[in-house]
Amino acid sequence: MTAQPITGRIQLPLLIVASVFLVGVMPLLNAYGLIEDFTLNLWGKYLCYGIMAISIDLLWGYTGLLCLGQALFFTLGGYMMGMHLMLMIGKLGQYKSNLPDFMVFLGHSKIPAFWQPFYSFPFALAMVFLVPALLAYVFGYLAFRSRIKGVYFSILTQALTYGAALLFFRNDLLMGGNNGFTDFRTLLGMDLRVASTQRILYICTALLMVSVVAGCKWLTHSRFGLIQRAIRDSENRVLFSGYATANFKLFIFVVSAMIAAFAGALYVPQVGIINPSEMTTEKSLEAVVWVALGGRGTLVGPVVGAISVNALKSWATRAYPDLWVLILGGSFVLVVMFMPKGIVGLPAQILTILSKISRKQQSIDSPPSISEPETIDP
Amino acid sequence: MLKSFFVTTLPQTCLVGLALGLSFFTTAQAQVTEKSVRETVASAIVAQPAAAQRELILSLKLKPSAEAVEWFGKWKEGAIFLLDDAAGVKTPVILTGAAAADDSFATLRVSDGTPLLGADGAAVRINPKEVEFAETDSGIRRAMKEVTDVVALADPDISKRLRAIQDAAVGQKVEKLPALQLLKTTEKNPLALRALEESIAIIQLRSPLVAERIGACQKLGDLGSLAALGTIKTILAETESAKDRPLVLAAEKAISAIGSHISRINAAGTAFRGISLASVLLVVAIGLAITFGLMGIINMAHGELIAVGAYTTYVIQNIFASGLNLSPFGMSISIPGMHLSAGGMDLYFVVALPASFLAAALVGLVLERTVIQFLYRRPLESLLATWGISLVLQQLFRLIFGANNVQVSSPSWLSGNWTVNDVVFGWNRVFVIGFAALIIVVTWLVLNKTSLGLLIRAVMQNRNMAACMGVRTERVNMMTFAFGCGLAGLAGAFLSQIGNVGPSLGQNYIVDAFMTVVVGGVGNILGTVISAFGIGMADQSLQQYLGNPVIGKILVLGAIILFLQWRPAGIFVTRSRSLD
Amino acid sequence: MSQKPFLLAAEGLSKSFDGFKAINDLNFYLDEGELRTVIGPNGAGKTTFLDLITGRTQPDEGSLMWDDGKHDLLRLNEYEIYRHGIGRKFQTPTVYNDHTVTENLILSLAGSRSIWHSLFGKITSTQRDRIAEILTTIKLAEHANRKAGALAHGQKQWLEIGMLLAQEARLLLVDEPAAGMTDEETYRTGELLLSLAGKHTIVVIEHDMTFVRQISQGRKVTVLHQGHVLCEGPVDRVQSDERVIEVYLGRKSKAA
Repeated sequence: MTAQPITGRIQLPLLIVASVFLVGVMPLLNAYGLIEDFTLNLWGKYLCYGIMAISIDLLWGYTGLLCLGQALFFTLGGYMMGMHLMLMIGKLGQYKSNLPDFMVFLGHSKIPAFWQPFYSFPFALAMVFLVPALLAYVFGYLAFRSRIKGVYFSILTQALTYGAALLFFRNDLLMGGNNGFTDFRTLLGMDLRVASTQRILYICTALLMVSVVAGCKWLTHSRFGLIQRAIRDSENRVLFSGYATANFKLFIFVVSAMIAAFAGALYVPQVGIINPSEMTTEKSLEAVVWVALGGRGTLVGPVVGAISVNALKSWATRAYPDLWVLILGGSFVLVVMFMPKGIVGLPAQILTILSKISRKQQSIDSPPSISEPETIDP
Repeated sequence: MLKSFFVTTLPQTCLVGLALGLSFFTTAQAQVTEKSVRETVASAIVAQPAAAQRELILSLKLKPSAEAVEWFGKWKEGAIFLLDDAAGVKTPVILTGAAAADDSFATLRVSDGTPLLGADGAAVRINPKEVEFAETDSGIRRAMKEVTDVVALADPDISKRLRAIQDAAVGQKVEKLPALQLLKTTEKNPLALRALEESIAIIQLRSPLVAERIGACQKLGDLGSLAALGTIKTILAETESAKDRPLVLAAEKAISAIGSHISRINAAGTAFRGISLASVLLVVAIGLAITFGLMGIINMAHGELIAVGAYTTYVIQNIFASGLNLSPFGMSISIPGMHLSAGGMDLYFVVALPASFLAAALVGLVLERTVIQFLYRRPLESLLATWGISLVLQQLFRLIFGANNVQVSSPSWLSGNWTVNDVVFGWNRVFVIGFAALIIVVTWLVLNKTSLGLLIRAVMQNRNMAACMGVRTERVNMMTFAFGCGLAGLAGAFLSQIGNVGPSLGQNYIVDAFMTVVVGGVGNILGTVISAFGIGMADQSLQQYLGNPVIGKILVLGAIILFLQWRPAGIFVTRSRSLD
Repeated sequence: MSQKPFLLAAEGLSKSFDGFKAINDLNFYLDEGELRTVIGPNGAGKTTFLDLITGRTQPDEGSLMWDDGKHDLLRLNEYEIYRHGIGRKFQTPTVYNDHTVTENLILSLAGSRSIWHSLFGKITSTQRDRIAEILTTIKLAEHANRKAGALAHGQKQWLEIGMLLAQEARLLLVDEPAAGMTDEETYRTGELLLSLAGKHTIVVIEHDMTFVRQISQGRKVTVLHQGHVLCEGPVDRVQSDERVIEVYLGRKSKAA
């Protein structure tokens, strides 16, 4: 609490500096060869993960809904973009056919009807938002209407993701089965394999990141944000304050699905592949780790978490391939147990500990902050 | 009209068949009553001409015995020798005892087993290389085969007898009918009788008499004979061109009767598979019903505790066999084996069950003390922390046991199956069901009839109150969690018998397990049982109906979400009146 | 059935939990502008009754009509009932601990409850004045920017009452407002409730007989026993009622 004003005051300038660096400086350095193409591409990927992490935090950190299906929305967005990219390959694929390679391989001779509209980029972009939003709306409507919350919500989203992954692993869904989509060539006429296109994609990602942070900042500081956090702390009380909490939760659920989907759509052309293994609950949980590690209930925390965990992963999977998972899993347990506010909350946590020590030294008894047991949330 | 047709014709055909069979048997009857099997064989060997030999052999059909088959074997392999006496009478003998210095052997008469004595009263010794042996020709061998078939039909072992009866129908040889029909008059075993009727009818499908063929069709339809389906279809195809209305009708009727029998079998099979899947779910979920349902801990590492049980089974199995070499973290660990025989190996599972319970309970205990005890009031955090643990455990399995699946063999008493009315019940699935029932009963007893259970229920209902009453809640939490984890370990021991054991074993079951508990209603064991059965049956029925396991599974997940619309708190809601 | 227009009319209400009859054939009528005190021993069903009114629990049978029978409360859910002007203060203070005092009041302000309004609605100057006024009323003006979780127990109770005021509720359901308060705080709480009487219809559930005497002042008191209305009337008459002495006051005097 004591650290709040200080961090609050330096937050805004810090954010602006970081944004300028990410959006402007990094691509410039890359254009002049000071940052390798590979590194920039890697950062583009990290930022996509960061945006997904914000979408998780919007639900978990701010509204108390731990969604284990965020990787599903992310991947769905990616698939929608991927469908467009697959069609843009045209006759450049291995089979020199208008059809995506996997369809030729499965013995199809015509592009299925539901693929046709994806020739249009605007349509694909619309679907990037609409498909995950619709899924989130239907699922969220059912879940929130019947007042499924807490861990039940988590388990159900886990089941939803599991079911969707099973579906996408199938070839007869005509979404590429196991192998998913890959071997993309062009986007809006630009060759995806040249550095300048990748740089543009990176800038788009960084811009999206900045606008998502700004948008969420506004959202969480509006009265909606107050209600969101009130729902997190005591949903029943909010009901008894006359708010239809289900609608509020549904709204934020759909918004966060769309944010994740947009990140996924930018992720696919940068990484060059999308397949159902990105859709599993493990991926969702991994993203939850980023949020927990970075610090939930803040907007910067998830981004910090996503970048640091993935940077660590890039390094550790090469340096200690066997031990990497042990490190991830172990650090996760430690963070959950000892750093409830994550990296971002660390300074405040240290300050609290320090002040406790100094207070002890002054031997002044201060009343410990008692959190009242929640009586109306059974 | 059709019915009256059968009524009038059937007895006639039967009479004809009987008359034919009887006339054949009466001629041979007299000889058999006089002579023993070996006497008959002996006289057959020396009889002349070949026709007489065959007749004597065939006469053995009336007294089918394993002995005859044994003698035929010796005859065919040239182990029966023919000794001429002075009068030129040939005596069939076999060799006995050990070879003497001159390669000669003592002999025994085939006819009565007495030593063959020479004129001087001394035993006759022969050198097999110098003496003529009894030969066979194809006619004799065919006759022998006929007798052997009949003997097999009378085999005292019911499974061998059934096989012989079913084999008799292959090829639809009309000449096999008499033996089958004769056997039918003496057979007592209902399974064998049914098989006899089936085989007879299948052969009769080739009968020259149309009425008999129609009768056979009807019979096979009534029996729901799976074996006959192909043949009847062929007959239908043949007859339709011949335009024989009654036969076509009978064949069509039989095919539809067999078809509905098949769908009944499939339904029963589906129900059985559903129940066994339900049992698997139940076994997997019961531990979770305790840690999640009663204690409210979302243990994402539950699946890995199952794997702990499975790997423990693997280790125990190897200790019973030839030992195990592991190399975790570059160390080399060698566990010596006991090299037990097959019989001893079968016992390993009996040891593996408690061992896997204990191993998983121990891991659970460590988890509870180090992590979970700090997270009792933070369910979402416990979900995340235990997921981290699950990652760590999976990786440890990989490092210790390798990334590939390991081989766990089932004890011999778990393989094999049991067929009732064409429905196959695999022993391992039957075992699953029994095992699930046992675990439920044990869990129920522990929770309701032991003092630990009383404490568990007290603490789970009101932790603070129990603490005030002097219950050591920490200890109870620890024991409860360990118990739930131990049950997961048992599930692992058990899953090792029906599936692969690998590092991600637990991941395959965790979603299903959570679903089962959620649908059942948290904190209610009975609810878990019912929901396991509901989900298991729904899953298998959809799979059977759609012919697609994945779509079936997805539909079940969808159905669960919809079910929770109707009953958000599961089948059984634990109603309580909050204190005011 | 009823001739006089009642603000709230409960008839034949019953609710049981696993066989325990928390509310048993309860009939309760409330006039507009009344300040009614409900007393009764533990387990008499007082809080369950409030749960039924506010939609937290559904009764097994009976009817619950609002505003002269215009609305059937049993058909509405929690937030709809709230929007009809029924506000509730819970027994244990239930405020948003992580929000500041002012934010707690903002969340409770009367007005649109739509998502759109929550995103784009501005707090008007009238509302600002109203909040300042309430802060003064509940004596929390100097704590306006503190987190509610950091307040003392009695202050939380008042904040919750303040939230009811911000709501501009027609009916205030106040569950044991004096619980855990010092005598002085209790007295001031009584004053506060009395000052609200007339402007709002109020139902107070209370145990503390001194407090009941302070606020009832000859108004009607309802005694609940085993989920049923035992008797109704001014506090003196109720206190001298044989049955009441037996089930409630009798026990209390024994305990004292």
